[in-house]
Amino acid sequence: MTTLSTRQEPAVGASGRQTRSSAPRSRARTGSLTHPRGIGIALVLPAVAFVTVFVLAPLVVAVYISLTDFPLIGSYHFIGIANYVSALTDPEFLHSLLYTLIYTAIVTAPILVLGYVLAVLVRRRRRATALLRTILFIPYVVGLTTLSFFLVLEAQPGSGAVNIVLRALHLTNGQTAWLVSGPLATGLICTLVVWAASGLTMVLVMSGMQGIPAEVYESAAMDGASWWQAERRITVPLLRRTILLSLIISVIGSFLAFNQFFILTQGGPGIATTTTVLHIYNTAFVQLQLGAASAESVLLIIVIAIITAVQFWLLRESDGTGTRERTTRSEAAKGAQA
Amino acid sequence: MTTITVSGREESRGKIALYVAGLVLSVIVFAVPLLFALFRAFQPATVIQSAPSISTFFHLTLQNFAHLGTEAHLGASILNSAIVAVTTAVLTAVLSTLAGYGFARFRFRISNWLFALIIVTMMVPFQAILTPLYLQLNSMHLTNSRLGLVLFYTTVNLPFGVFVMRNAFESIPAELEDSGFVDGAGTLRMLVSVLRPLILPGIATAALYAFLASWTEFLGALTFLTNAKLYTLPLALVNVQQGAYGQIDFGLLAAGAVVAMIPCIVLYVALQRYYVAGLASGAVKG
Repeated sequence: MTTLSTRQEPAVGASGRQTRSSAPRSRARTGSLTHPRGIGIALVLPAVAFVTVFVLAPLVVAVYISLTDFPLIGSYHFIGIANYVSALTDPEFLHSLLYTLIYTAIVTAPILVLGYVLAVLVRRRRRATALLRTILFIPYVVGLTTLSFFLVLEAQPGSGAVNIVLRALHLTNGQTAWLVSGPLATGLICTLVVWAASGLTMVLVMSGMQGIPAEVYESAAMDGASWWQAERRITVPLLRRTILLSLIISVIGSFLAFNQFFILTQGGPGIATTTTVLHIYNTAFVQLQLGAASAESVLLIIVIAIITAVQFWLLRESDGTGTRERTTRSEAAKGAQA
Repeated sequence: MTTITVSGREESRGKIALYVAGLVLSVIVFAVPLLFALFRAFQPATVIQSAPSISTFFHLTLQNFAHLGTEAHLGASILNSAIVAVTTAVLTAVLSTLAGYGFARFRFRISNWLFALIIVTMMVPFQAILTPLYLQLNSMHLTNSRLGLVLFYTTVNLPFGVFVMRNAFESIPAELEDSGFVDGAGTLRMLVSVLRPLILPGIATAALYAFLASWTEFLGALTFLTNAKLYTLPLALVNVQQGAYGQIDFGLLAAGAVVAMIPCIVLYVALQRYYVAGLASGAVKG
């Protein structure tokens, strides 16, 4: 973040000449002789072309066709914001938004808490931690698509492992048909996602924890701080950025959920487990309403932008007076080490 | 690392007991389900689909994997997935290396703008532009095409790769290139013979992420492929699950999912340091 912005500052406000003069002298000298700008442009051009053709152009096209009654075949006409109006009054689209919101609300906190607890478990190098870190992260690496196929087998009434285990624990009779009931399927998928995704939070939080100098904890221990106090007053405040980052990754990921729902329930029964992306997919490629689907896509992009902005804002808010004491304390601890 | 010294003193018994309990619990919760999934793939479909009984549960067989080979669609889909994922990894690595070199070492007026442009696309979720992307690929005759899928996956993975590679080049001292120029090396020779050993870790990171992201990618493949001959492994498995090839064969589904899982685990375990380097590179931090 910081390196990025310092690099960009000169170029944004000032002329190219100043950019060059602010670069290290040796590089400025070689700038034109050994690194001709023509070759530089040629080197970056393929990558720029890829993102222009396959991301930026479709983004512009999405806004354009969202204003038309675009079908897959035949002519189309401008219809203004009619697609947006009908999307926002379409009960199925609104249901998919609400359902995705609920799903996101259910999984976010458990992913963060479980990821944090696992990070605490493996942050210190003890016997078998390397192996344990690998084991905890593997579900994320395998990915929800493959895991969903496994779950198809294990969710079967009578024969699947989910039911076998629950019956062995005398919790159910082992005949639960998980995937044909909205609430049951939602619960099962949420469990799968929390299980699979907490590994990523664990790795991010753990590497953040390892960046905190040990001296901070030592001086806290000298002041008689308990483990819980150290965690609450040192680790969590210092990890705010990391926690925010993993929150944003997990919330956006949940809001774009598709694979596990398509594979496990196809959005059913009815539209009970249809997420927003699944709804848009159906609108575009089952009903072939590309204009309407594009309008829904644009709305989805806006919703995601709002969620991200709100999360940044919330964390900035909590940086106010409440945490000031804590931060100065940890700053002092940091200063003591120097 | 630093945490080793958190307390120079011995850990309390209680803490060690807590750690061991956490260790055991984690293995049960996180490793056992995947081991069980692996075990499932060796059970006959009839056993998978019936209530477990001690007499048959441990009769293991390779017939599911044999079916993967003989069931034409599945064998081809594994090959399709491999072709697409490997090509994506190579193409992403090449384009990221070139662009990373250009952004790190060459000064031209719009360099920062173009870099920002590439990084910004990381924040556009491809799930949200699927409809126009479909139209675009269709008009370029790139739907129902492995090439089209490769180009799409490469684009999705490029921003991360460019970021990683630019960092890799920036960490190389400029003097190293100077000596190369004295020897009269051109841009390409500079990359291939002088800089290559130093940027290989970055290339490994970019290629690994691209492979893992495309090997079992689902939504894009589902949207852009309708010809069953071109299906990738996850699409073929959906067909198995829905009984498109006749009887629903859960043995085939388990074996196919295991084939999808194994390369991810092997590559991750073997190349873990490159994966972690990617997480730490700050690319995720934007």
